[in-house]
Amino acid sequence: MNACTSCKMLSSKERCPVCGNPTSSNWSGLLVITNPDESAVAKELGISLAGEYCLRVR
Amino acid sequence: MEDIENSIYALKTSAGQERNVARLLARKSKDSGVGICSILVPESLKGYILVESSTKIDMRNPDIKVPHLRGIVEGNKDITFEEVKKFLNPEPIISSIQKGSIVELVSGPFKGERAKVVRIDESREEVVLELIEAAVPIPVTVKADQIRIIQKEAD
Repeated sequence: MNACTSCKMLSSKERCPVCGNPTSSNWSGLLVITNPDESAVAKELGISLAGEYCLRVR
Repeated sequence: MEDIENSIYALKTSAGQERNVARLLARKSKDSGVGICSILVPESLKGYILVESSTKIDMRNPDIKVPHLRGIVEGNKDITFEEVKKFLNPEPIISSIQKGSIVELVSGPFKGERAKVVRIDESREEVVLELIEAAVPIPVTVKADQIRIIQKEAD
């Protein structure tokens, strides 16, 4: 899995399918957002799309 | 903007299975009526995951029966969102390393060796080490996540 260096979303692609930024395989921490509208965590991080995210990417 | 009132639960998982449990739990909660909004797997918490849910999580609920999920952490006090916040923005490991610290290498060719930090490159998240047991001090450059701090600062 790779993480987008900008939005931190996890994907298996070379470029993030959401924002098009390059992805990196060096990431840590996992965050699964299932309901972004009702999640305080998603609100805090400004996430509006459900999916898998990392907490830190390098 | 209205405030979101969700409870945060700490769930115990088998060590090393945190990510699998989180993914399975997310998939299961989507199909069932469990109000899980997000699942957090901080790297610093081994064997635990944090679940944000709008409904009470009960381990007896068959909808959250997931392999490697060991139980819920019971406590008198609820986990506050402030406590979770510090996991959302983990500070880089390099900020806790000081020059002169004694560290142990956890991976790479020098795994298990002890070394002293001689220089820190914060922008590249690298540290230059000198192996303690080596007869001739050779500087070794490694990534900050390849070391474990043993002693904060050498006397």
